[in-house]
Amino acid sequence: MEGVPIRNARRGDIPSLLLLWNAMMKEISATDSRFALHARAQEHQTAQFQRWLQDEKHLIVVAEEGGRLITGFAIASVTAGNGWQIPVRVGRISDIYVAAPRRRQGVARRLTGRLLDLLYETGVGTVRLSVAVGNDGAHAFWRSMGWDDLEVVLQKGVEPGQETAPGA
Amino acid sequence: MATEARSAVRAARRSDLQALADLRMRFLGEVAHAEPRLRLLADARARTEQTLPVWMGQDDRILIVAEGEASGEDDAAAPIVGYAMGLFSTVPPVLRHTHVGEILEIYVLPDVRGKGLAGALLDVLTEALTGRGAEVLRAAAPIAGNADVARIERAGYQPLQYVLERRLDTV
Repeated sequence: MEGVPIRNARRGDIPSLLLLWNAMMKEISATDSRFALHARAQEHQTAQFQRWLQDEKHLIVVAEEGGRLITGFAIASVTAGNGWQIPVRVGRISDIYVAAPRRRQGVARRLTGRLLDLLYETGVGTVRLSVAVGNDGAHAFWRSMGWDDLEVVLQKGVEPGQETAPGA
Repeated sequence: MATEARSAVRAARRSDLQALADLRMRFLGEVAHAEPRLRLLADARARTEQTLPVWMGQDDRILIVAEGEASGEDDAAAPIVGYAMGLFSTVPPVLRHTHVGEILEIYVLPDVRGKGLAGALLDVLTEALTGRGAEVLRAAAPIAGNADVARIERAGYQPLQYVLERRLDTV
């Protein structure tokens, strides 16, 4: 089945990327307040998109419908490992999001596939990503794609009752 | 036991560097044994020996050690039986809290485990990072080493994210 086209992002995509990024963060923080945004997050993220689109170590791909509507995006980067453990270089998928009305049509799989192809071309052999603990759907999605759990990141707020995990 | 364990914890000194390098390699070795995807690079020891003195001089990094019992011989220094390392970072303004304290490593030699030393190291490190201004504290632990995860949870930490990995040669 022919899916929605996936292409590398361009500077003109930044407004659409920001809209989708905001929607993604809103969904995540709605289920876990520990992901609530900083007051300057918008401003920061706009600058990040501008920088990343000019940085060969960052890869941004988008799903585009009808040559004009961006319905999903994914971001990865290539970084050095920590210096003592394998891998020496690692690809990191930091964001992937598909607009709610376009889900369950294979867009996320296609975005991921394109990113992995691009990462492979850079010579990276290992890729990592993080999933919020309450996001069971995303966790199941990645595991169904052959990803395995490696680590868990735990957090503690300094002020009593400051933040709690979903369901805690 | 908690008070006794806590009194054994102090800031690392230059004279601890050799013992710290030995302990760190044991820590990384145990992690690699439990989780082969985190096995050591060939020059890990050399890099550790080069990097520890640098870390010790950094204001944003905290290195503490747990002392064991001295042998009783005259002038015998108490051996270092555990250590912990943390990092205070100011991260970009994406999430609300930008002052983050990271618990990077905690290790206690196997023959002195069960005496509260790891918990004391975690408590002291947590307090030190909070004292630097950390608004939230984070610790990452391999899923395979679930004893570490349980200890961190007992100290009030809650799971935030899972880190998943995939080899590209299996795509």
